[in-house]
Amino acid sequence: MILHNLEPWHFAVAGAGIAAITLTLQAVGNRALGVSTGLEEICSLGSKAPYFGRAELREHWRLVLFAGLICGGVLSSVTSGSWQWTWDAGLLDTRLHLDHASKIAWFVVGGLFTGVGTRLAGGCTSGHGIYGMARMQPGSIASVLAFMASGILTANLLWRVIAP
Amino acid sequence: MILVFILSVAFGFLLSRSGAADFDVIQQMFLFQSPHMYGLLAVGVGLTAPGLWLLSRYGRTLTGQPIHLSAKPIHGGSVPGGVLFGIGWAMTGMCPGPILVTLGEGKIYAFAALVGAVAGTWLFGVNYVRIQRYLKLPNLTTGTGAG
Repeated sequence: MILHNLEPWHFAVAGAGIAAITLTLQAVGNRALGVSTGLEEICSLGSKAPYFGRAELREHWRLVLFAGLICGGVLSSVTSGSWQWTWDAGLLDTRLHLDHASKIAWFVVGGLFTGVGTRLAGGCTSGHGIYGMARMQPGSIASVLAFMASGILTANLLWRVIAP
Repeated sequence: MILVFILSVAFGFLLSRSGAADFDVIQQMFLFQSPHMYGLLAVGVGLTAPGLWLLSRYGRTLTGQPIHLSAKPIHGGSVPGGVLFGIGWAMTGMCPGPILVTLGEGKIYAFAALVGAVAGTWLFGVNYVRIQRYLKLPNLTTGTGAG
């Protein structure tokens, strides 16, 4: 069960939807799906570092992508019940019982790993996992194998060893 | 840009309703308790692949412009970056897209994950020239790749 105790969509419907979005973005918008580079576009707004001055980031189309993703989340929540702020985090709550401050620290640290990791790897689940895998790109195959293996190891360590 | 926005809203909605932005669904994937996410990714990749192949053969977008497909060569950051991201994904239950989606859903801690992810990106970017040599990263104008 997910948001508002809904059953998630069937995986084939969701997978087909993701493919349709990826293909439309490329076929009409001429852009390759990839979320994590948008994190660099945010940094490019406030940093003079040469890395954030790259041509790739100048169009800022991924800031529109970010805004759309947030709106999609709002829309999903509003249309399935009432929208409200929540601290609920499923398994994390039932196993670790973190107070709000510790929870914030937990997600900041996790976010740091995600920020450094996705930018070092040059992509995340969308850019490497969907787009890059679909094009059989060597960098994507290497990164996907690495992040799936690392995620499996981390989750098993967390939920089967540290906080069973 | 209007197209990008509409597709992004649809993408966010889909990530939310498919469970891909749900903490527990992601843990079930990593713990092999449910095949849901593996099926989702397999169908997503399986349908995207022939589409992108056809577009690359056609060489143009549907509006007739020369197509720009993204190449992702392997470099020194591909594996270490993946390892770090895997830790972050398992800890937060969100990859970068779902950080924004769950923020929209009203999950307060998604702010914390976003702050962490932007800070991590900033740390990486300002230190790029320093770590480039040791990690065998592409030159600065190329970067590690868009994705």
